[in-house]
Formats: sequence, structure tokens, C-alpha cells
Amino acid sequence: MNRFERGCRGMVWALSASAALAGPTGALAQSGELVAVVAANSKAPPKLSADELGAIFMGTAKSFPNGERAVPIDQKSGTRPYASFYQLSSGKTEAQIKAYWARILFTGKGQPPQDGGDSAAVKKLVAANPNMVGYIEPALVDGSVRVITELK
Amino acid sequence: MRVFAALTATVLGAMAPAHAEGLRYNVSGFAQYTVGKVLSGDEKPYSLTGQWQCPCAIANWEYVGVYEKSQGAQADQESLIGLQGTVHLSDSLSATAQVLARPNNFNFRPTLDWAYASWSVSDQWTLQAGRKRIPLYYYSDFLYIGTAYPWVRPPQDVYGWPIYAYDGVNAAYAGQWGGFTVDANVWAGGFTHKNAPYNTKIYYGSPTNERWKNIRGAYLTLTKDEWNGRVMLMQHRANTWTPAQGTQPETVWVPNLKTTIVALSLNYDGANWLLRSELNRLKQSVSKAQYDYYLVGVGYRWGDWTTMLTQSNYKTLDLGTAFGNPPLGIEARRSQSLAVRYDLNKNWALKAQYDVSKDRTTQYDFFGDHKMLSLSAQTSF
Repeated sequence: MNRFERGCRGMVWALSASAALAGPTGALAQSGELVAVVAANSKAPPKLSADELGAIFMGTAKSFPNGERAVPIDQKSGTRPYASFYQLSSGKTEAQIKAYWARILFTGKGQPPQDGGDSAAVKKLVAANPNMVGYIEPALVDGSVRVITELK
Repeated sequence: MRVFAALTATVLGAMAPAHAEGLRYNVSGFAQYTVGKVLSGDEKPYSLTGQWQCPCAIANWEYVGVYEKSQGAQADQESLIGLQGTVHLSDSLSATAQVLARPNNFNFRPTLDWAYASWSVSDQWTLQAGRKRIPLYYYSDFLYIGTAYPWVRPPQDVYGWPIYAYDGVNAAYAGQWGGFTVDANVWAGGFTHKNAPYNTKIYYGSPTNERWKNIRGAYLTLTKDEWNGRVMLMQHRANTWTPAQGTQPETVWVPNLKTTIVALSLNYDGANWLLRSELNRLKQSVSKAQYDYYLVGVGYRWGDWTTMLTQSNYKTLDLGTAFGNPPLGIEARRSQSLAVRYDLNKNWALKAQYDVSKDRTTQYDFFGDHKMLSLSAQTSF
């Protein structure tokens, strides 16, 4: 096999591996309605704008606008709520968010938000931690959490 | 290639954050498989070291990745895999190490590119000590994180020095000033690179060392909405020497010269349109060596596709004795590239790039002109 053939076969390997890793994310382009929530007893402000919420999840704001510490909780990447949230809050695709955090992670400037699991798990986590903020489907909102941003 | 595939497969299974005996740790990584082919160019010998048969194209100065037309398509010049592990000792203390392996660096011999301890003093300030890449230009400290930029590689007319890391300390600031998001860093340290490929393979032929002493630098990046501007200033003492070998005495090429590097960058990241620009200068005392270099690129993004048209340029200036007395000529190059990126999914980007590069060097026969095609699959995980 000459060098060119080796190169081409290598590329086919890489493309095949990429396709295998693609998973179900391709079907997540469509956006849905989400709400950002904090614990019912949180000292976070009554409302947050989408920009303020986006700054917390992008790591550029470490606190709510009133000075209270803010800890963002993500849903699992590759899920529909995750893709919808970043599309609605920052207009970015999942790949763009991943690229953004890759730069920050590999240059020692920070870590992406903690993965809190699915909506039910995020709601449970946020309800028990007054500094946390997460996003869930509106239908799951109950007395344990308070809505601070509606994302449409 | 099997090593590359096996390493990738092994680490993909263990990416999630994990806990062990109260310690939290993360393992993450990045990789690229890049195939380059020189399509045409100047057919002349590479005069300085005889290392390559041109037509050829330099695609990486730090580790020295050079594609040669006579070699056909080559996958071993820029492909790499990197793994990063972070141990969180507490909410504010962590230790991180990053190891890179690449086929053109002693057949995948791992190199420790990053190893530092990090202390989050407050929400805004972080102190770090250890080894980090020098955040010299806009892409310097994430030069190999391919998913974070639109090209196969950032324009190499700008990204080319023998030292790319420092052992030392830095203080990082991240916060908000009014409507601006601020990212700033000050750092100090030094680094010695023995048998630096940049020196040995490109310029001197014999194993040649590089040492940057008394590095002191700072950058400030301001981001507002789609716009982002950065200014960087760094000074150090540069030393380049070929150690004594047999009957050959030591030769000092650069004798502890004070060096100043200034870098400016302005970028726009709109919903569809992108602008990338850098304007940089290196100046050295005594020899009065001066390098000026820039890049400017315009891109358009639609959905998962991004295309980028870029021009880059570097040239030395005849200001003193660095290029002969009187100056024998200059070293200079100008390149244009058309790059296309497709985001296959959140972890993988596929890229293609066509480069047309014109060698404007008059001091010696250098890499010459070339036209090159590159294909790359790049991931972070």
C-alpha cells in the first residue's frame, strides 16, 4: 500500500469512527420550550433575562445579578433539553457549545457546568440547593422550585 | 495508526467525571487525524539543513510538521492525540496534567505539555503554578484543540516559535466590567527546549537548544456581544545555542537577547458571519531582529457548516545585524487559505483546507511556494 492509500484508508477509519460516535444528537435540532428554575427558597432574583442566564451557563458570570453565588446545572449533553436550552439561551448548536468548552477546559480556564442528569434529576438537585440553577420542561414545575426565566 | 486508534478507543470509554475516596477527577481529551498533500510548488532543495525535498509545506513549526510532494498524502505530520486529567482536591484546589502523543514526534512518544496546580482564590481570581502553554497569540494555548477553530490549523505564518510552554506561575482574572466580559492573565517563568525541532530541523541541522528566560507576560481580552478584542505583551531573554560536539565548540546563535512580543487580535462571532484577525510583532535587542506578522479571515456559518477565507503573512525587517551585516535578505511568506468545516456531531468536526502559499524569502532557499490540500477529522471528548 502506498502512502496515499494509507492516508485515504486512515481517513475512512476516522470518518467511520465519527459516524459511530454521532449517536442520536442529529435529531435534536428542533427547539422546545424550557424554563430555568431555582429552589423555592433560593435568594436568586425574581427574574433573570435569557442573557443573564446564558452568562451563568457559559461560565462568564459566577453570581446572580444580585450578588448571590450561582451554580449552573446542565442536563446530560446529547439530550433534547440540552440542545434546546443552548439554542434558546445563546443561539448556539451543541457542537458550538462543545467547542467553546473545549477551549476553556484544555487551557485551564474552567469547567463546564455539572451534569445533573435528566429533568427530574435536575429539579430534585436544584430544589435541595439554594445556589443552583437548572432548566426543565414547564410541565415538571412544582412547589419545590421557582421559575426565574422562561425560554421560548 | 493502530496505536492512535487504540488510544482513542480506550479513552472514549472513561470520559465521565468520577469519584474515588472523596477525590473528584475528570479525564478528557482531544485528537485529530490530518492528511495533507502538497499538490505543487517550487522544485528546489531545502538549503538550510537539507532536511526536506521540496515542493514542501510547513504546517507546524513547534514540532516541525512538513509535507513533501514526493511523499504523496501524509497522515503523520499533524495527527495527534491528547489526554487531560484533572484531580479536584477540593472546591478550590485542583491539579491538571495534559499529555500529547503524535506520530512525527519520536513515533508517538508522549510529551507533557501541561502540568499545573490551580487555586481558585475567588470567583474572579485563580492562581496557577507549573507548566502551561504560553498564551502568546489568540490561538497559542489551544493550538491543537481543533474543534475550537474553523481551520484545519491556525495560519502557520503567525504560529511559529521554538518555545510554546513555560514553567512558572500565573494569575488569571475572569469577570464582568459593565457590559464587557473580561479574561486576563499575567504570567512569569522560563523554559528550556533541548534539541528543539524548530532549531535543529529547520535552521541549524545539528541538535540546537532554545531557552527563554525571565518570561513576563500579560494579556487582556474583552468580549461584548459578538465582538472580542485582545491585547498581549510579553518580554523574555532569548538564548539559542548548539552545544559542543566532538571537536566542534559550542556555537551561540542568540546570546541572551531581550525580546519583546506584542500581539493584537480582533474577532467577530455573529450568527452567520465570522471575522478573525491578528497583528503581531517580535523585536529583539542588539541584533534588532524584527518579525511582523498578521492574519485576517472572513467566514460564514450556516447550520453545521462553516467556511473561512484567510490571508496570513510574516516578514523579517532589515533593521540591524540579525540577518547579516549588511543584511543578506529577509525571510517572509504570504499565504491564502480556503477552509470548510462540518460539525458532524457535538464531538467531531470534519475539515478540508486548500492553501496557496508564496515564499518571499530572499536570504536563503527556504520552503518555497506551495499549493496544498488538507483533510482532517478533529475531536474533543
